Amino acid sequence: MGKEQGKRIKEILQERARNRKNTPLYSTKTVDGLRQKFNEWKETKVSEKDQKDWNVTPRTILGSSISRELLYTPLSNPNFDYEEDLGFSGEEPFTRGIHPNMYRGREFTMRQLAGFGSPEDTNQRMKFLLENGATGLSLLFDIPTIQMYDSDDPFSAGQVGMSGVCVDSVDDWHLLFKDIALDEITLSIVTHFPSNTAILLPMYLVLAEERGISWDKLRGSVQNDMTMEELVRSGPEYIPPRDCFRVQCDNIEFLRKNVPQWNFITLNGYNLREYGTSGVTEMAVALANGTETLKEQLNRGFDIDEIADRLAFFWAPANDFFEEIARLRAVRRLWYKLIKYVFNAKRERSMWMRCHVQTSGVSLIQQEPLNNVVRSAYHALASVLGGAQSLHVDSYDEAYSVPTEEASLLSLRTQQIVQAETQVTQVVDPLGGSFYVEALTNEIEKRILDELDEIEKAGGYIEALEQGNLQKKIVGYFSDEQRAIEEGEIKVVAYNTYKSSYEPPPINVFEYPEGVEEQQKAKLADLKAKRDNKKVKAALDALREACKNGDNILPYSVQCARVRCTEGELFKVFKEAFGIWNRTILM
Amino acid sequence: MARTIKILLAKLGLDVHNRGVVTVARELRDSGMEVVYIGNAPPHAIIKTAIQEDADVVGVSSLAGAHMTLGKKLIEAANKEKIKDRTCFLMGGVFSPADAKKMSEMGFDGVFMPGSTKEEIVSSVCEMVSKKHPE
Repeated sequence: MGKEQGKRIKEILQERARNRKNTPLYSTKTVDGLRQKFNEWKETKVSEKDQKDWNVTPRTILGSSISRELLYTPLSNPNFDYEEDLGFSGEEPFTRGIHPNMYRGREFTMRQLAGFGSPEDTNQRMKFLLENGATGLSLLFDIPTIQMYDSDDPFSAGQVGMSGVCVDSVDDWHLLFKDIALDEITLSIVTHFPSNTAILLPMYLVLAEERGISWDKLRGSVQNDMTMEELVRSGPEYIPPRDCFRVQCDNIEFLRKNVPQWNFITLNGYNLREYGTSGVTEMAVALANGTETLKEQLNRGFDIDEIADRLAFFWAPANDFFEEIARLRAVRRLWYKLIKYVFNAKRERSMWMRCHVQTSGVSLIQQEPLNNVVRSAYHALASVLGGAQSLHVDSYDEAYSVPTEEASLLSLRTQQIVQAETQVTQVVDPLGGSFYVEALTNEIEKRILDELDEIEKAGGYIEALEQGNLQKKIVGYFSDEQRAIEEGEIKVVAYNTYKSSYEPPPINVFEYPEGVEEQQKAKLADLKAKRDNKKVKAALDALREACKNGDNILPYSVQCARVRCTEGELFKVFKEAFGIWNRTILM
Repeated sequence: MARTIKILLAKLGLDVHNRGVVTVARELRDSGMEVVYIGNAPPHAIIKTAIQEDADVVGVSSLAGAHMTLGKKLIEAANKEKIKDRTCFLMGGVFSPADAKKMSEMGFDGVFMPGSTKEEIVSSVCEMVSKKHPE
C-alpha cells in the first residue's frame, strides 16, 4: 500500500517535517546579531516609504501575487539547512537538480513544436528543425485531429491542417516520418488528452512495427492528460471524467509494460496555466492528477518504483523571472517528498521531477511582435536556471498564427544562445543559496502544498474537476487578470505602458498550404475502399467491448490502428461505450 | 440604451481555446447584455441557434486558424437565412491585421484582435446594434 489510509498528503509531509535534520547553516548567535544590525540599517538607511512598503506584490500575466521584500538576507530564511533544504545536485531532496552534473552531462533538449498542413508539410518542418540543431521533436496536431474527428467529418470542414498537422490513420504517420529514423529521435507526440493518446499513440507504434523497429527502441513522450481533455479545452463532446481517467491509466499501464523508454504522461502544467491561472495552481493541479494517477497504478499492481520514473511534467514559464526559477526548484523538492514520504519509493529515479517546458504564449502580444523575442528569451533563461530537462520556446508571431519558418528558427536559436553563449549551463543550480531564491522557493512550495491540500479536502482531483470547482477557480482568475491588464495593474510594454504611436514594419505571417483538406479527404476515401472493412469492424467491436468490460483498451486500439481504422472511428467507439459527459459550460 | 441586447457567443468550429470568449461573455453580461454561450458549433448551427434565440448579435471566437474559412461559411449562412440586416456579426481571436481587414470586407460588423479591451467590445456592440435597430 503506497499511502497511509486517511491521512492527507499535507498531513503526512507535516509529520515528516518534524523529523527534519537539525543542521542549520547559521548559528543562533550570528542570526541574532545580524537581526540587530538589520533593524538598525532599516531604521537609519532605508527611507520611510520603503520601510512602509517593504513588501510589494508584483503583478504580471499569470502571476501568483506572492509578495517580495525589498532586500533578502539570511534573516529571510534563518533556519536554512543546506543538507535538509537543498542537498547537493542529484541528491535528495533534489532541489538543486536531478543529476549531479545537470547540463554539463546532458544539455536540455531543444524540442520545438512542428505541425501544420499535411503530413508531408510537417515532415519538412521537422527536418528543417533537426538540420538546424533541434535535439528533440515535438509534434502538434490540427484541431480536428486533437478533437478526434476525421478530416472528412463535416465538423472538421475548413479546419484541416490548420494550427497543426492532420492525421487520420497510420498511412499519414508513414508520410510524417519519411526519412526520419524513429530509433534515433526522441519524439514528443502532443496528444493532449487520454482519449486521443489511446488513438494516436497506437498509430505511431504500428508505424514502428511496420518499419521493423521494436518498441523498446522508441524514446519519447505523450501528454495523455485528463486536465486537458476535461478541464482546459472547449469541445463539442466529452466522455465522462472517470472514464477519461481510466483511459489515462490504461495508456500508462500499457506503455510501462510495452514501450519501456516512453514517458507515458506529461502532467499539466502548461495548458492549464495558459488557460488562465497562477504558477502555483498550475503545479497543485498537476500534482493532484499525478498522485491520483500513481495511486491507481498501485491499485493495478505496480510497485511505485516500477511506475513513477516515467511520469513527467509540463510547465509554462512566464514573466516573473525569479518566480519561474523558484517554482521549478520548489516543485522538484515537493515531488521528491511526495514520492518518498507518501508513496515510500526506494529508487531515486522514482523521485525525480522531470519536466518539459513551453514558454508562455499568452504573455506574448500582437503589438510590436519582435518584443516577444525578448519576453520568450527571459522565459527560456528562467527555465534553464530552474533546471528544466527540455524546452520549447514560443515564437514572436504567437498572436498571429502558427510560426513561420524564420520565427520557428529564432526560437530554436534562443535556446542555442542560452546553451552555447550565456555560460549559465556550466554551473549547476547557479542561483542556489540566493537569499531571495531560497525564500521564494520555500514560499512557493508551501503554497503549492496548500492548494494541493484544498483539492484533496474537496474530494480529490477527479471530484474537484467533476464538480466544476477547478473550472470556477480558473475562470475567476482569468477574468480578474483581464481586468487587471485593462486597468493597468499588470503592465504590458507597448500595450498599456511605454506606449507610442510607432508602427513597426509588418512581420511575415504564416500562410497555410492550400488543398490539404481535399487531399486528405481523397486519401480517406481511398483508404476506406482499400482496407479490409470486415477486419475494421471486428477491431472496433473488440475495442468497444474492452471499453465496456474494463480490459486495458490499448492492445485493441493498436489492432484498430493496424487494420487502418481512422481516428474518428475510434472516438465514436469511446462515445458509444462511455457515453457523453453532460458538462456544464461555465461562464 | 432602452432594450437589452441579446448576444449569442460560440466557439467557431472545433477550436479548443475558450478563455477569450468566456472572458468576453462575462464582460458583456456584466454590462447588462443577455448572453447565450453555446460552446463549439459549426457555422450553420450557429446561424440556426441565432434565429431560434432571436439574437441581436452573433459573436464567434477563433484562435485556431480557421477564421477565414469558417468565417466565410458563417456569413454565407447568415445571408442565406437573410438575417444579416438585423443581426450584427463579430469575430474575435488570433489572426493577423491583414486577415482582420479581410473579415471586415467579408461582412463582419466587428473584428477584434488580441489586445481588444472590454470598453472597445462593449461600445462597438452597442453602436452597431443601434445602427441596425435605430428604434
